[in-house]
Amino acid sequence: MGTKWEQVLKHKIRNIVSSAAIAVAILLSTAVGAQQRNAAAPASRPTAYDVTRETTLQGTVVSYTEDSSRPPLGAHVTVQTASGTVDVHLGPASYLRSNHFSLAVGDPVRFIGANIPTEQGNVFLARIAQHGTQVIAVRSASGFLLATTASRALPQAERSQSAQQGKPR
Amino acid sequence: MTAKMNRLAFFVLVVVGSFAAACGGGGSGSGPGPGSTPPPPQPPPKFSNASLSGQYAFSMAGTELCAGSGSFFGRVGTFVADAHGNITGGLEDVNICTGVQTLQFTGGTYSIGPDGRGALGLTNSSGTTTYSIALSSTTEGAIGQTDVDVTASGSFQRQNTAAFTDKALAGGYVFDFKGVEVTGTTVSPASIVGRFDADGAGGVGNGLFDSNVAGSLSGQQTFPTGAFYQFDPNTDGTTFGRGTAKIAGRNFAFYAVDATRVKFNGTDFPSAFAGDAFAQQNIAFNLGSLNGGFAFLISGLSTTGSIGTAGRFTADGAGNLTGVVVDENNNGVITLLPNGTVTGTYTVDNNQLGGGTLTWTDTKAGTFSFIFYLISATQGVFQETDSKLVSDGLFSAQTTNPISAASLAGDYVFDWSGGSNAQEDFVGQLTLTPSGSFSGTMDFNEFATGKQFFDVPISGSLVLNGDGTQANTFSVNAQITPARTFNFTVYVVNQNTLFLVGVDTNQVVVGTMTRQP
Repeated sequence: MGTKWEQVLKHKIRNIVSSAAIAVAILLSTAVGAQQRNAAAPASRPTAYDVTRETTLQGTVVSYTEDSSRPPLGAHVTVQTASGTVDVHLGPASYLRSNHFSLAVGDPVRFIGANIPTEQGNVFLARIAQHGTQVIAVRSASGFLLATTASRALPQAERSQSAQQGKPR
Repeated sequence: MTAKMNRLAFFVLVVVGSFAAACGGGGSGSGPGPGSTPPPPQPPPKFSNASLSGQYAFSMAGTELCAGSGSFFGRVGTFVADAHGNITGGLEDVNICTGVQTLQFTGGTYSIGPDGRGALGLTNSSGTTTYSIALSSTTEGAIGQTDVDVTASGSFQRQNTAAFTDKALAGGYVFDFKGVEVTGTTVSPASIVGRFDADGAGGVGNGLFDSNVAGSLSGQQTFPTGAFYQFDPNTDGTTFGRGTAKIAGRNFAFYAVDATRVKFNGTDFPSAFAGDAFAQQNIAFNLGSLNGGFAFLISGLSTTGSIGTAGRFTADGAGNLTGVVVDENNNGVITLLPNGTVTGTYTVDNNQLGGGTLTWTDTKAGTFSFIFYLISATQGVFQETDSKLVSDGLFSAQTTNPISAASLAGDYVFDWSGGSNAQEDFVGQLTLTPSGSFSGTMDFNEFATGKQFFDVPISGSLVLNGDGTQANTFSVNAQITPARTFNFTVYVVNQNTLFLVGVDTNQVVVGTMTRQP
């Protein structure tokens, strides 16, 4: 039990603390109002390429289809591995052709990629494809197909040489 | 181009010839006799070369052949049509595989049929590029490039030259740019959506954006310093409405349609972005701004390939979503919602500038996340923010009027884009009957030699589900060899606009249908 003076002082301190708390709260709420939204933790679809689940797959070509009716759309190769057959997705066949990458039954192949589930079973999304000594990147490091984007990263001379030479722009 | 013009000229000749033959028949013995009722006069054709008159700004994005592979490119500009089939001038900015160029149109031709479809050729110093167009009115339409090894689609609108001053662009603008971002040797699909205030004097304030680069999300960012816009000080600005701008830290060339719409093309080669900015309604946006049923349409790329998504949701004005219906075609993998039970929420930024987030979760299919910027209380740009997806587009308030096949009957132009193993772009016109059946004609470009198709007859049907605000069925039979069928789900925005997403497992196609007068 303190003196009256102490009680008054405590009351004043409480008021000051309360006022300060309110002021801080107002400042904080103002700051929150002006703050930009942070990037939300993105939800992941089961069909998304997951770099953390990359594996290497090695085997022999059982069949190769440039325009498979089985999703995802694009070229698919069925590979016989030591643990069974695997359906490998390679993206647009036009990209493989333009990189002079072709496959035939019986060819030994090696892929780096990641499995995704589909209603028709698992599909291995290839990021790197190797046939003999030829190695091509099918997907970027983040898993997106290079077929519709990659040529913009080529050296200018290569782009100029192979682009719409002489055609209207 | 010449062949196509000849073909269209032939088409016009056939139509005119048929009309003349029908009129001429009155003098023959088989004509109506004395006392019989004369046939009603033919209504005048809705469209002709005179329908395309004045100066039009266009924007499109697509795929060109570059170093043997398909490569994203953007094309934005303006052309001047003389109402008689001639292009008398214009200017465009292209961001193509070999660089960024500004090219003057020195001429060109066009031809518009009675259904509003037509062909357009734009000539610059490098030659002539060709396009199929379809007029939804005399002031706007859909456009698709039809050259071999180059395909693209977009829109064009008549320009208001009074808006070609910095002062005319004042107020808030919401934008949606899509393209590719190149960093070193890494090329990534990218989407940037956001908003800014133009101050009427070339300054930009309150700039906010969200970027999604190969699935890597920026979160909401303020514009880096140096943002501006400026009409070109020479005649390119005063005559064609061209200018330059720095938006969201990127450099652009732009063409103003009017004070409410501006078309942008990125100039930070080898990165490339293209898209439109829309004047933002001048209100303080909050949760209540999003209230009612909305249909949406987005498209882009996933790690399996092309992705297109359409659907609808109801926002309650208080942060809750119900009635979520979704059709997603992820490179042939179809996901339909609701699959289990769907719940959803949304937020609108405290700063009242129209940004926000939106999420729904299906107990079986998982979570779908988006950010948006509201153009108004009835429309916004929409970007998906789920992992390994780069997809964006629009949402629009659905009509509260009853929807029926009869209320939707009429003439429409359409613009579809997508593809299977290669990019495809479609432009056409159809007439929908009160029973839901339709017939029409389309052109499309499949991005390869010999894969440009013109005047392909189409037919099919629209089947509405329930009250029509949900997922409706739209089947299109294209009469070519071999015959092709396109199965879509349609979400009705209102009696003038429909959103379509293809649900075939062998192709990914999305697009819109817009009513003609």
